[in-house]
Amino acid sequence: MELVPVLFLTALLVGYFVLAGCDVGLGMLMPYLARTRGERRRAVSAAAPYFLGTEVWLVGAVGVVAGLFPGLKTAVVSDLWPVFAVLTAGWLLRDAGLWLRARTDARAWHAAWDAAIVGGSWTLAVCWGLAAGALLAGGVLSPLALAVAACTVVLFLLRGAAFGAERLVPVPSDAGPAEGPHSALSADAAARLTRVLARAGLAVLAVAVALGALPGALEGGRPLAAGAGAVVVAVALAAMAGTEGPGRSRHASAAAMAVLVPAVGLGAALPVEPVPGAVLVLVSVALAPMVPLMVAGQAALYRMLRRPAPASGFFARVSPAPAGGALPGGSRFRPTGVGGPRAGEPHRT
Amino acid sequence: MLDDPLSLARLQFAFTAATHYMFVALTLGLAPYILFNQLTAVRKRDGARMRAVRFWGGLYVLNYAMGVLSGLVMELQLALNWSGLSDMFGYAFGAPLAVETMGAFFVESTFLGLWIFGWDRMGRWAHWACFLVVTVTAYASAYWVLVANGFLKWPAGFRIEDGVAVLDSPWSLMGNPSTLMAFGHVATSALLVGGALVCAVSAAHLRRGNDPDRMFHRGVRHGTAVLLLAVMPVVTVGGAQFVLYGQEPPTSGMTYSAEEIAAIESEGASSAVEAAGMAGDGVMMGSWMLICIVAGTAGLVWLMNRLDRWRWVHWMLMALPVLPYAASIGGWTARETERQPWVVRHHLTTADAMSDLSPAMATASFAFFTAAFAVLAAATFWLLVRFARRGPEGGPLAPPRPETEPEDGAQVPARTL
Repeated sequence: MELVPVLFLTALLVGYFVLAGCDVGLGMLMPYLARTRGERRRAVSAAAPYFLGTEVWLVGAVGVVAGLFPGLKTAVVSDLWPVFAVLTAGWLLRDAGLWLRARTDARAWHAAWDAAIVGGSWTLAVCWGLAAGALLAGGVLSPLALAVAACTVVLFLLRGAAFGAERLVPVPSDAGPAEGPHSALSADAAARLTRVLARAGLAVLAVAVALGALPGALEGGRPLAAGAGAVVVAVALAAMAGTEGPGRSRHASAAAMAVLVPAVGLGAALPVEPVPGAVLVLVSVALAPMVPLMVAGQAALYRMLRRPAPASGFFARVSPAPAGGALPGGSRFRPTGVGGPRAGEPHRT
Repeated sequence: MLDDPLSLARLQFAFTAATHYMFVALTLGLAPYILFNQLTAVRKRDGARMRAVRFWGGLYVLNYAMGVLSGLVMELQLALNWSGLSDMFGYAFGAPLAVETMGAFFVESTFLGLWIFGWDRMGRWAHWACFLVVTVTAYASAYWVLVANGFLKWPAGFRIEDGVAVLDSPWSLMGNPSTLMAFGHVATSALLVGGALVCAVSAAHLRRGNDPDRMFHRGVRHGTAVLLLAVMPVVTVGGAQFVLYGQEPPTSGMTYSAEEIAAIESEGASSAVEAAGMAGDGVMMGSWMLICIVAGTAGLVWLMNRLDRWRWVHWMLMALPVLPYAASIGGWTARETERQPWVVRHHLTTADAMSDLSPAMATASFAFFTAAFAVLAAATFWLLVRFARRGPEGGPLAPPRPETEPEDGAQVPARTL
């Protein structure tokens, strides 16, 4: 029974990195993958709907750490205050960019928020990497910490590339008559990146393992757990290093991200105390009726977002005023006969 | 004063909390209105009413974004800057917030995502049910945050062991009188914010003679009705809170003796903080009286059937939202300053609750987050006004049009990176 809260927290964090790795990674790759305005809109539209559903995992994890594991929170946050402060800032900027980008048609507005999205995504990945590295190595500036940080950044990029290779394929209705073989530029670029990044990741991982194997490098932790994690990541990267495209890399990148959390948690021997009885009662009773809603809602959301990303929609463009006020086709409602502007009637000003 | 890390941390919290609450209040106040509107639209299969739901929903979604962004910073700010609170009261204060993030916010955001992206992709009742979940969890979220905040004002249900609070009774936490009364007050005052906004936007369009499908004719009446219904309960529940003033919380004495408490309070008394509290109180009550007058006038004009026509009523309603927003900020200022110098009344002072921040860390954090919030709040406010004035055509949730822009293939200049 003592394990249940720890497993719950681990599941939340694993869920965050596996799911949010997609939209963070795609945000990081945006300048490389999306070179035209339409492709940019498609990239934002691919990443943005997910971020609402994925960041709630992190918000929940932070809440659970603060409420159920305050000792863990002190151990992790107190030395790494600058890393987490910068992470918060990056998170804020990225979310603001994703939500506000499509609200006007001005180029300068798009450019500014695009910069926020890209910069915020990179900040998030680098800060998570530094946090993971610092927890394993005992200090932010040690070579091992920096190597682990680089490895984490590559994992985020990989997750984004695997996600982009699938989601950036244009919807058939988007492709105008002039588009020919170049219509899936971003998706193809992302697919090519999966192989390149997997090989780069293997190289960085080798450096990290070499540094970690040095005596005294792992600060009082469990080298076996960290080593096992490194092995799993290496296997996943090797699986992706031979081919390109979304098929295998989707699952392999997810596996690599997933093992990051337990590897760091166990490898750094993070202090986890049993949750006191009254607190456990309060949280369990309050959360139990919500868990089915959480699971059902997330499953439904991701199933709904499975279709390729259009270059239109809430996160992609401002909807222009429709001409004539006609309802869109396929609406389940019959048009009302009540009121409404009649053709030819001048507005009173 | 501004080079002291404690002052900077407190000011940062005050600014970010006030900004956060402004957007949360509209989320809480507008959600029931959209829910009711969509219920009518779905029952009557009415396309015109559904277009109105798209319009109000678009404003809601814009506003929700800033609520989430500011909420993220609030959560992490507590973890980063106020570790003393977590050291002593980690479980008691943190557990309700854990429930809020998991049980309320997680579900709320997920189902809002379903509502935004599932438009015309699911059955109409399923779509409405998504928003029902969003509304219920929004209020659940407010309740759990107030469990944590009410605990600070009226600590109950724990004992102290080795200088750390150990939770005794979760039911004392959930039924805390400060929490329950604050929740009632927040819920009714949020309805005032929502009703005022609906009135103002409707009046602005009626003034210009723009009323597609008579949605603003309905809006101004609904808004006025909500104001009239909520304005008395707000002051009743709010006034009931005074019963706790001057009383000692049941756990008083566990950490400090009565003399030590008196000494800490007299030493920590700050005239600036007290003045801020009194000003907040005054603004809140003054705004409430003005809201009464405006709502009453609008009600009378409604009875006289001139709500659509008299210009001065439209101008009055367009200016109205300032009042409930001012009242909300004033009320929170009064509530939080009244508890000072304590962060947990009679157990932990604000100074002791702060993390070990160097002046550089405190200044950097304060400068960045205050500036970022100012920019984002201003951008959101500008967008809200812009889309409110535009009306239902071309709003954030308007149905997409399959047009392609002429310059889709244009290369983006490299310097935008």
